[in-house]
Amino acid sequence: MRSDPTFWILARASGLLAYALLTSSVLAGLVLKARPFGAALKPAVVTDLHRFLAMLGLGFIALHASALVLDSTVRISFEALFVPGLVPYRPLWSSLGVLAAELMLLVYASSALRRRIGARAWRRLHWLTYAVFALATVHGLTAGTDGGRPWALALYGGAVGAVTAAAGWRALVPATKGGTTRVRDRDRPLAV
Amino acid sequence: MYEIEIDRSLCSAYGTCIDLAPDLFELSDDLIAVARVRETDAEAAVKAASACPMSAIRLVEIRADATRRAA
Repeated sequence: MRSDPTFWILARASGLLAYALLTSSVLAGLVLKARPFGAALKPAVVTDLHRFLAMLGLGFIALHASALVLDSTVRISFEALFVPGLVPYRPLWSSLGVLAAELMLLVYASSALRRRIGARAWRRLHWLTYAVFALATVHGLTAGTDGGRPWALALYGGAVGAVTAAAGWRALVPATKGGTTRVRDRDRPLAV
Repeated sequence: MYEIEIDRSLCSAYGTCIDLAPDLFELSDDLIAVARVRETDAEAAVKAASACPMSAIRLVEIRADATRRAA
């Protein structure tokens, strides 16, 4: 008797969706910093979108993990979702997915705790997003059942190309000037 | 008495500070909040710093002998 493929299909679909949402969130974050569209895009709207896409991505990662545990095609224990190396299916490449999910959760949590941990620690942790994206890309290409299909290759290629281009734009074009603003830094008289 | 500091790399122009304390904050042309006053002891400044969605506002307490972070 053939086993029900529902959870296997759900795992694959949610994994791909989580990757697309992660990519979109990274792109929104880069747009927020580089502001290539100037004042046309409100930074607050982009920030909300950036956060929402990351949260939705984490939700689909949870769905991806749950579906893998519930599926009977590959036996995956609950502990294997948290400890890299315990997944019997392509263990190395599956581990990258576990690691990417844990790092993404760490980055997301650090944003919620920014007031407590401080802007400097939050900013440093946010750099991990590039590692999350790289790990998720390699995980999808090597552990994903659909990783070799032309449409999947187009998805991963497009995502890497878009993030590379946006990161390059951010690096080459002067972003919003950083630092701290105090009223005495301004060159016009006090308004009040 | 506080001195207002705004982290430009964090500010995302939500405008919460301007809603809460329009006499103390305004939005610059590059969509970054800036302080309108050098120093303040207004309660609204504390409210604005606490309510900033990006935690971009810091109030440095000004004392005669030393300063310390207030928010």
